[in-house]
Amino acid sequence: MIKFHPSEEHLFHYVTGDLSPAMLMMVGTHVDMCSQCQRHVQHIEEDLAQKVFGQRQLPAEFAAANDSFADDAMLARIMAQAPQPTSMVMDKSPTELVLEGKRFQLPATLARNHHRIGHWHKLIGQMWRAPVQISGEDVLTFIYMAENTRVPEHTHKGNEATLVVNGVFNDETSEYRDGDFVFLDGSVKHTPQTRDEDCLTLAALDAPMHFTSGLSRLLNPFSSLFFK
Amino acid sequence: MQTVTETKTKRNIMSSAQPDDPEHAAALLALVATEQSRQAFSELFRYFAPRLKAYATRQFGNEQTAMDLVQETMTNVWNKAHLFKPDRGSASTWIFTIARNIRFDFLRKNKHRQHDLSADELWPVLAEQNESLDDDYALDDDLLMQQLAVYCEALPKAQRTVIELIYVAGKSQQEVADALGIPLGTVKSRTRLALQKLRELIQSDD
Ligand SMILES: [Zn+2]
Repeated sequence: MIKFHPSEEHLFHYVTGDLSPAMLMMVGTHVDMCSQCQRHVQHIEEDLAQKVFGQRQLPAEFAAANDSFADDAMLARIMAQAPQPTSMVMDKSPTELVLEGKRFQLPATLARNHHRIGHWHKLIGQMWRAPVQISGEDVLTFIYMAENTRVPEHTHKGNEATLVVNGVFNDETSEYRDGDFVFLDGSVKHTPQTRDEDCLTLAALDAPMHFTSGLSRLLNPFSSLFFK
Repeated sequence: MQTVTETKTKRNIMSSAQPDDPEHAAALLALVATEQSRQAFSELFRYFAPRLKAYATRQFGNEQTAMDLVQETMTNVWNKAHLFKPDRGSASTWIFTIARNIRFDFLRKNKHRQHDLSADELWPVLAEQNESLDDDYALDDDLLMQQLAVYCEALPKAQRTVIELIYVAGKSQQEVADALGIPLGTVKSRTRLALQKLRELIQSDD
């Protein structure tokens, strides 16, 4: 079972489209993987539709809005077009991500955005990253950790959201598996690591990592490289 | 079957139902989809267009942009009514998600930023096919799909159950794990083994 979900607020703003592009991809991917949040999203959509369309009488301030449609010019313009049932067939884009001979099936949101995924780069140890090219301030990236890999303890200057796409990792407080969505603010120190399973995650960061312990501080100059 | 549905929807139109009645709105959309009914579309338009305009005016604070959103949304309703799936939600929810997508693209339209997301990359409301990508595992080719039933007989029972739930019943791996009360990792490994076996069977058949 998925244990960690986006907040109510994240889901609401996913439905309205008012999150950063990176976070929209993160929440959308979680929703692909989580039937509970799919139902939740559907309820939010229904509520919003009810707010927009539910009232039998238009509020007074918009009663005048009807005037714009009085001559039915727009209605006639639309119906003058022959309906075109075709167009916009989604390309059958690749749905797999391949790394070091391993193949990962991508959830639908990521599969639709396969063209944004850049090349894999090896990081320290047995970690790789592949950027997801997307507009906005946040950085969106895949991070792959092989078995028995540990990320040096770090905090973030900003927020970090991590979604497990496939596999399992642990930090000091919990274990995270397929579909789990973790949102950390800048105050949290943590040391993600894998044990006997590898892990593919998608991460959104609004500031580079900041390593806090021992020798790993040497990595700090490297950290902007790490996530930009 | 077809005629029964038509008689029913036609009767609804004659009744006093309003498009705020979900069944009536769905019936109107069906008439637009199947016979391009101008009467049905006009009824939908008169209900939804002013409400869309009120929504868009609040969103954009600009009457011209609001009217553009109304026109684009209702044009999609006219052209794409066949993409409305009544079992997935109400007509008004479907129209809302179309308007939401158009708003999303309007807000980005004039910025011309590199790597911008488009609404249909996030929410494929108007994609002709948006079911096939939902599975955790997509099969390599249609041939495999067709022959699956035959080859499945050769699989061990535990693997066959998992494959049937995923590919025939359309469940996600997590749902299969929950339904069978087994760990997700077990579902994954059974799926992997089964697909491997199926590929071998198909290849040895060629
Ligand atoms: Zn969830």
